[in-house]
Amino acid sequence: MSTAGRAVIDSVRAALGRQAGTPVDPRPEILPPRQAADPEAEVDQLLSEVNALAGVAKRVGPDEIEASLRNLIEQETVRRATLWSSPTLRRLDVEGRLRACGVEIVAPDADKHALAQCDLGVTEADFALPETGTLGLLSSPERPRAVSLLPRVHLAIVSRSAFRADLHQVFSEAKAHPYLILISGPSRTADIELTVTLGVHGPRALHLWVLSDGD
Amino acid sequence: MQRRLQLFVTCLGEQFYPDVLQKMVAILERLGLSVEFPRGQTCCGQPLHNSGFQDQARAVARGFLRAFGSSDAAIVSPSGSCVDMVRHHFLELFPPGTPEHEQARGVAARTFELSEYLVRQLGITDVGARFPHKVAYHASCHYLRGLGLVTEAKQLLADVKDIELVPLPEEDTCCGFGGVFSVVYPEVSRAMMQAKVRNVIGTGAAAVVACDSGCLMNIAGGLRQAGSDVRAMHLIEVLASQGDAR
Amino acid sequence: MSDAPPEYIDFAAYSRHVPTTIPAAVQQATGRFLDTRAARVAEMENWEALRQAASDLRLHTLTHLDVYLERLEQQVTAAGGRVYWARDAVEARAHVLGIARSSHARTVVKAKSMATEEIGLNHALEEAGIQPFETDLGEYIIQLAGTGPSHIIVPAVHLKKEEIAQLFREKLGLDAPADPVALTAVARTALRERFLAAEMGVSGANFLVAETGTLVLVTNEGNGRMCTTVPDVHVAVVGIDKVVPDWESLTVLLKLLARSATGQKLSTYTSFITGPRRSHGEGGPKELHLVLLDNGRSRILADEVARETLKCIRCGCCLNVCPVYKNVGGFAYGWFISGPIGAIFAPQMLGTRAGRELPYASTLCGACVDVCPVKIPITKILLHLRRRVAQGDRVAPPSAPWTTRVAARLARWSLATAWLYRLGARVMPVLEAPLARNGWIRWLPAPLNRWTRVRPMPAFKAGFRSWWASHTKGPTTP
Repeated sequence: MSTAGRAVIDSVRAALGRQAGTPVDPRPEILPPRQAADPEAEVDQLLSEVNALAGVAKRVGPDEIEASLRNLIEQETVRRATLWSSPTLRRLDVEGRLRACGVEIVAPDADKHALAQCDLGVTEADFALPETGTLGLLSSPERPRAVSLLPRVHLAIVSRSAFRADLHQVFSEAKAHPYLILISGPSRTADIELTVTLGVHGPRALHLWVLSDGD
Repeated sequence: MQRRLQLFVTCLGEQFYPDVLQKMVAILERLGLSVEFPRGQTCCGQPLHNSGFQDQARAVARGFLRAFGSSDAAIVSPSGSCVDMVRHHFLELFPPGTPEHEQARGVAARTFELSEYLVRQLGITDVGARFPHKVAYHASCHYLRGLGLVTEAKQLLADVKDIELVPLPEEDTCCGFGGVFSVVYPEVSRAMMQAKVRNVIGTGAAAVVACDSGCLMNIAGGLRQAGSDVRAMHLIEVLASQGDAR
Repeated sequence: MSDAPPEYIDFAAYSRHVPTTIPAAVQQATGRFLDTRAARVAEMENWEALRQAASDLRLHTLTHLDVYLERLEQQVTAAGGRVYWARDAVEARAHVLGIARSSHARTVVKAKSMATEEIGLNHALEEAGIQPFETDLGEYIIQLAGTGPSHIIVPAVHLKKEEIAQLFREKLGLDAPADPVALTAVARTALRERFLAAEMGVSGANFLVAETGTLVLVTNEGNGRMCTTVPDVHVAVVGIDKVVPDWESLTVLLKLLARSATGQKLSTYTSFITGPRRSHGEGGPKELHLVLLDNGRSRILADEVARETLKCIRCGCCLNVCPVYKNVGGFAYGWFISGPIGAIFAPQMLGTRAGRELPYASTLCGACVDVCPVKIPITKILLHLRRRVAQGDRVAPPSAPWTTRVAARLARWSLATAWLYRLGARVMPVLEAPLARNGWIRWLPAPLNRWTRVRPMPAFKAGFRSWWASHTKGPTTP
């Protein structure tokens, strides 16, 4: 530790009347976490919360992916997209389907300028929290951070296995990872006369598709 | 044997509201209580304490202990903020180890605001009053948050015959008195007072009622400044009323 | 507001000259936030239990801060980040400038960070020829306007959309209709260029998790994410009071923070950053630098009563309920932090010479105490600081003007001396009789006119004692 660091720590110790090596009392108890309702109710709540946050959330069956993607492309005028490489997204052939619709695909680890030109970023959610309408995304070379940030529209695909009842569960898994982003709706501000405006710096639109059972 | 009470009339009460104090005596005696007035009393020290002059406040508080400390009778006062001072701050002024500590502890434990005494100690909410007017209630800050008296005044008001209690918007928002605050930052005090006065006038009530002389001085002055004939009354004045003309 | 800390906070003057638009604008914001907060609180059966848990957690962390800080440094370093310690603002600025120089940064994008305002970072960067861009929309707007924040969560709430459009026209040369959506779009485009071009991103952090060396950022716009993801270098300037022991602790604090601030269940984005990126592909900064700022916090920690000030999680709820704040707005508090928390934080950071007026900028109504998610005993600390100003304590000598101290002595004398008090009570009605009309006094000489300038005073009427004497019901104690 640097001299300044030692000085700060010493200053803190002096303030508290503590010596180096004085044991730490146990941290106070945390309140028990929320318990999950039944699985369908959890999905209902997630959709309802995300929609209340001006996200667009729905259940999507495997045979509905094609149509849903087409709608999305048209609705949000998607010409260029980038996406994570994940088992679910590969199984659903999201990339293939987007290409088939004439959407140009940019590699997710492309440079920031290229990613900033994308209209759509597609990810899979590592976690979904129904109580607050929140998605949790980790990161890795196949799942870069900017895919859910730079494009104007973010589509997150959510499997049932991603659902967690409470932050407790998410944290106990995520703490081992170097990065986690919790997303609750599209980017927003109320800085100008308290008028809620979407899409300040992050994505203007958040689409969330919960895959039907069995996916 | 009659229950004995000591009266703490407070400095503001004595200087500006002697009629309220007389009515308080009348109410208590009508309820069969024996009331004493320790002549040595002056002030609880709150204005000095709240200004940060704790050492000066301590000198004043000693006077309080001298006046009230020798009797073990309960002490009753028409002011929420003064009772808050005695109950919660005397023990800071006279911590364990100081010669006055035991006396301070005793006094802190048996000092009550009047409505608190009636409702919580005597279990009385109906004192036989009649006040056939529309009334709004302002919840004074120290009365409400310092003493935790959320319903007592309203319970007493509710049992007044022919009264019409109307809700006061932002009833628990500070009126802007704040003791020295009113003269240290008069413009801010004015803004807060005017907001309270607007809310009071907006209810259409004939009177606004509170349990603290500081608030009443401020709100009464504000109502007069606004050219309103809404009265700012102490709860005691309503409770002492038998329905005569205002 | 990016300059040196104020030498004196003249709340009296500032509160006399509150721009007429401020109270209404501020009250619109505070009213909105309180309404949505009320809905959230009503939904939660364990709100009070959460507050108590949060208070206990924060106090536990503060009273063991040395251990958690050491753990934090270890963990951040193990994760590949670099830790710098700043005893004061000078050292903090030097660290950030040093990093900026070795990164050859020409422009810096800044996420909203009160700590960087505290140390006057923007000014220091500009002096060094490095251009800082505030990217939080509200902060961006006030940076263009050259003013301070009127509210800690929505700093530009005092400006009308027409004024903002005008500002964009003048300062950015960009024409946009006076409409929030259009103006936001202008800001988005303008700032996007900045994000993509900047060599360095600077942020604060809402929390620092000692367990894993993790920075937690709570935002809504996405600028926090942009600043900490896009540039190659990320510098975080964070007060040592932001440490929490572990991730579990965050479950309590995150359940309270957004709900208390704006009534959202969670803010739009909560980022958890542990070290720089581990691989090129995943994106994110190559370098993570954490500057830990003391700047007077350890001194505050030494005061057992006032140390609870450091529990603050910057939700702004105390501002939203404070009737004083709501009538004067943020500028009146003279620094980047306002409202009840500002009234206790600023005098402790700046000292009770510079900040002597702030502890009195309150009626002690206690509304803030009722809502603070971490149960800071704000009124208790205000009184504690008033004592410091009025009569001095271990930390500082008295700083109240001598006139006030003389007045206090006079007051004590007349209130503590029973015969003098009784004499005064008999004399006052006589003395002021010429001034009283219909039971009211409309005019008093200065300085007593501070009351009568605002509203009349009731006339002195003391007569209770003589009434009591003739009342003769029961014994009077001599």
